[in-house]
Amino acid sequence: MSITEKILCSKSHEYLLDNENGTYTVGLTDYAIEQLGDIVFVELPEVGTEFKKNETFATIESVKAASEIYMPIGGKILEINESVVETPEILNEDTYEKGWLVKIEATGDDAEMKDLMEYEDYKEELA
Amino acid sequence: MTKETYLHEKHVALGAKMVDFAGWHMPVQYTSIIEEHKTVRNAVGLFDVSHMGEVFVSGKDAIKFLNKIVPQDISKLNYEKAVYCQLPNKNGGLIDDLIIYKLGIQSYLVICNASRIDEDLNWMVRNKRGLDVKIDNQSHNYSLLAIQGPKAAALMKKMGLNTQQASFTIKEGEVCGIKVFASRTGYTGEDGFELLVENEFSEELWDKILDNGQEFGIRPIGLGARDTLRLEAALHLYGNDLDENTTPIEAGLSWSIPKDKKEDYNGKDVIMAQLQNGVEKKLIGLKMLDKSIARHDYEVYFNNEKVGKVTSGGVSPVLGANIALAYVKNIKEICTGAIVQVMIREKLHDAEVVKKPFIQKRNKVII
Repeated sequence: MSITEKILCSKSHEYLLDNENGTYTVGLTDYAIEQLGDIVFVELPEVGTEFKKNETFATIESVKAASEIYMPIGGKILEINESVVETPEILNEDTYEKGWLVKIEATGDDAEMKDLMEYEDYKEELA
Repeated sequence: MTKETYLHEKHVALGAKMVDFAGWHMPVQYTSIIEEHKTVRNAVGLFDVSHMGEVFVSGKDAIKFLNKIVPQDISKLNYEKAVYCQLPNKNGGLIDDLIIYKLGIQSYLVICNASRIDEDLNWMVRNKRGLDVKIDNQSHNYSLLAIQGPKAAALMKKMGLNTQQASFTIKEGEVCGIKVFASRTGYTGEDGFELLVENEFSEELWDKILDNGQEFGIRPIGLGARDTLRLEAALHLYGNDLDENTTPIEAGLSWSIPKDKKEDYNGKDVIMAQLQNGVEKKLIGLKMLDKSIARHDYEVYFNNEKVGKVTSGGVSPVLGANIALAYVKNIKEICTGAIVQVMIREKLHDAEVVKKPFIQKRNKVII
């Protein structure tokens, strides 16, 4: 099963991956990366910070502009991907495996996932 | 309605990401802004800049007219030569910045920014009263292709252009049999040419340049890299670094203003007084000391005091650092080597004041 078959996507182009151990991984979809172009700066929150659904938790800058990244569900930051802060271009190469942003523990209820889409539906929404 | 250049289909076929810019649907990038930027610094790139305005000025009073609207002395501009100019209002603030070329006796070409053509034309018409001069906007009839980079001259020579042409000159010539006005100018800090061609030949010229450029490593370059290239070269962008409230002296363009021009021109009293007495604000170059990126409108602080604003900022692919142009209070403590702070998302980030341009301007390649 490829990773895009396992993720859920938000309208604002974040993905949520269920790690099946009570944690989730959050990153940006390949479509978002494609639109942004060369990623040159990534700012991630501190471990332990809590965010509500749709709250800004990170900033990503491409050559052209800065973009805020939103939480697809409410959660507490368990781990951040230091390597994308150090080497932002990883996001252009591989946003799903190496280019994830944060790992979180969900703090909201399941209803928060209602508006998230499966990858195929997300792609259709864009078309 | 958004306008399209005659090369629009070419950009789409090349897979360019298109954006609206100054009323035009233009390619912002074909592959990667950083890759495109490096191509221009190391080899050669091809730009469609047909959105720029071309205004032909001619007539018995052409010199008199141009001398009234720009601070530069057009009477000293020789045949086939070009000069960087500004179009000040009565207060010395800038309506646009321009390149003026002398094409013949009483005949000049004015290249203006796409976003400012209407304002420029209005201003020109208002200033021509009583003068025997024809202002002929030919923007819709011409395409403009820029070939920029250390290998630009070799490519143009291969394509039949006589490249024995100095910087800031314009000549009528042929590129692979296509008639062009070839100007040795650009907006990248590299050697290069800008070819003015009639619209109907622009697609053929575009294709031939890309074909012939293969051996030189040519790539088409979008507006994204055009912006990072001009920023590294510290070339002003109208709308960011220049506007109607900024004089050429404040913008660091004193070098372009003749001190001995006798004729009166719009804003002369303000510009001359500022040359004499100094200015309140100045344009400086900044290099960020961390990985953060300063962007247009971010505030600049010095000793905990707000002293100005960033007007252009971004990455420098050549320096591997982030750079910016900012207007700050003109105090002597803010000098090369001084540390200021830029407010980015409510945090202050250190930046060093550095000399402009951020990279050394490359000399003309003589072939």
